[in-house]
Amino acid sequence: MSSSSEHHIPVLERAGDDPDGAARADAASPLIRADAVSRVYGEKHALVDVTLHVARGEICGLIGPNGAGKTTLLRLLTGLLDPSSGTVRILGEKPAEATRRLRQRVGLVPSGDRTFYLRISGLENLAFFARMHGLGRRAAVAEARRALAEVDLVEAQHRAVGEYSHGMQKRLSVARALITRPEILLVDEATHDLDPEGGRVVRNLVADIAARGAAVVWATQKLDELRGFADRVMLLSGGRTMFSGTLPDLIALSSPRRYVLRVRNGGLSGESLAAVADRLLGDLGTLRTLGEGESSNYVLALERDAILGDALAALARGRMDILTCHEERSELEEAFLSFTRSDSVDPQA
Amino acid sequence: MSATAAVALDKASALAGELRKLPAFIRRDFLVAWSYRMAFFSDAAALFLQAVSFYFVGLMINPEVLPSFGGSRVTYLEFVAVGIALSVFMHLGLGRVATAIRNEQLTGTLESLLMTPTATATIQLGSVVYDSIYIPIRTALFFAVIGIAFGLHFEPNGFLPALFVLLAFIPFVWGLGIASAAATLTFKRGTGGIAFGVAILTLGSGAYFPLDLLPGWAEASAELNPLALAIGAMREALLGGTGWEGVGRTLLILVPLSALSLAGGFSLFRAALRRERRRGSLGLY
Repeated sequence: MSSSSEHHIPVLERAGDDPDGAARADAASPLIRADAVSRVYGEKHALVDVTLHVARGEICGLIGPNGAGKTTLLRLLTGLLDPSSGTVRILGEKPAEATRRLRQRVGLVPSGDRTFYLRISGLENLAFFARMHGLGRRAAVAEARRALAEVDLVEAQHRAVGEYSHGMQKRLSVARALITRPEILLVDEATHDLDPEGGRVVRNLVADIAARGAAVVWATQKLDELRGFADRVMLLSGGRTMFSGTLPDLIALSSPRRYVLRVRNGGLSGESLAAVADRLLGDLGTLRTLGEGESSNYVLALERDAILGDALAALARGRMDILTCHEERSELEEAFLSFTRSDSVDPQA
Repeated sequence: MSATAAVALDKASALAGELRKLPAFIRRDFLVAWSYRMAFFSDAAALFLQAVSFYFVGLMINPEVLPSFGGSRVTYLEFVAVGIALSVFMHLGLGRVATAIRNEQLTGTLESLLMTPTATATIQLGSVVYDSIYIPIRTALFFAVIGIAFGLHFEPNGFLPALFVLLAFIPFVWGLGIASAAATLTFKRGTGGIAFGVAILTLGSGAYFPLDLLPGWAEASAELNPLALAIGAMREALLGGTGWEGVGRTLLILVPLSALSLAGGFSLFRAALRRERRRGSLGLY
């Protein structure tokens, strides 16, 4: 993402900040700045010339297939990894040389499950990490309890973390990040193995943190979870930025060619209906049965430059009742695939 | 207040803040150890059985072949008890220090810890502070149990000097352990090297047999072996009753060696961490 393609949403002010003074001036500059960052592992270029700016109160979705460079970018932002070139600044400081004060202000929800001491309880784990942030024992336990309540783990607080489900461990991970009320929150694949409800809970928690003024980077492969959640998205593939902007912008770039139709036509169904439909469609596309037997579900594959409306009209003229029609993939998924397919055009080339 | 004084105050405050984190490590490691309760009891049982074995071995050994301490002869069990205690102390201490960071890496908690505002030195120290308390207690219990069970005689006026020798020896073990942890972080495997190093130091320490049975060159090299120095001084104190006189010279050598070991260990570990960050292999194992 270059600076010219930056799309900043209006930033939120943090509760308790002076609305007329330093906070507003501070909010104008991104809290997370990665400029022209590259990272090379031996011969492999994990990240190439990536620029990412995230402002206060903003959630930036970082999407891309496996090996796209999402985790590498997050590790650069945390300071656990040094960039091969380019600069990274978190709250104005280099994360690799981070002061204790900076670490106090950054929260990380790592991708793995095994980031806790599995033999001890959730409460003891959180209290330990709270103490690493400089709290005394009593304050650490109080903060741990508060964070556990926020993620709805109070009932499980005395159970060993090893007995927690994936979803509970993820929530505990978010709770750990909540302990310090971070201004920067970096989330790596937090919902990849959660059920939809578990994912929703975690997203809501993170959205709350952002609403309090934190700058959030949320790395994921689940595209649809970014809808209504992320303010901006950056799409990485092969370590390069393939897209940066808002979700509607990304969706606008998609051009779905395949649709699932539910079709009814008097006595025809299945393959026989598909054969008739093919004749009706002519050069516009083809209709194939979805599933086996006498299913009334079909996939309409449009030819290049064909228009969906024309195809549906052609079928309707042949007395085919189109009961439902929807894209085979979501428009987000379509956009994602159009940017990450191996034959896609490299925008930076 | 001058700027220099303010900086010094800041540093002192930061240091105090870091030291206040150490009890959290002790609590964490105690809870983890307590969750494996059986290991506590099997460790104690193994220690006692080892002492029983050496008691029977001691019945075959003529005390005349053993060196005298403070002018008096000792039994083989008395002789070997000090050697066992310190060599096991070194083995456990070194092994646990070296593997503490490795375990953090394997459990995925190292990166989580490094993300907190905690100094690397605190993480290193914190990872071993529980063992640094537990292992000396275990050593003291060992002496107490075999002393009572087999009627061994230790000189009461040697307890305090022996404790000081132990305290001077602990940082030496830490330093080596942290250096081993650095090697493990870098080369991913290093426990074989640690075991070999411990075996060499133990062999040349006179823990299980008198040093004068060794070839001359090996006996001479024991003068530079901190484990041999610590064992010798503790035998003088506990068995010979020589008090502070018997341990003074050893402390003068051990303290700088320990300081050197600790400083070297910390430097190597910091360098290893920097290298891993640069290479991006901190999370790999």
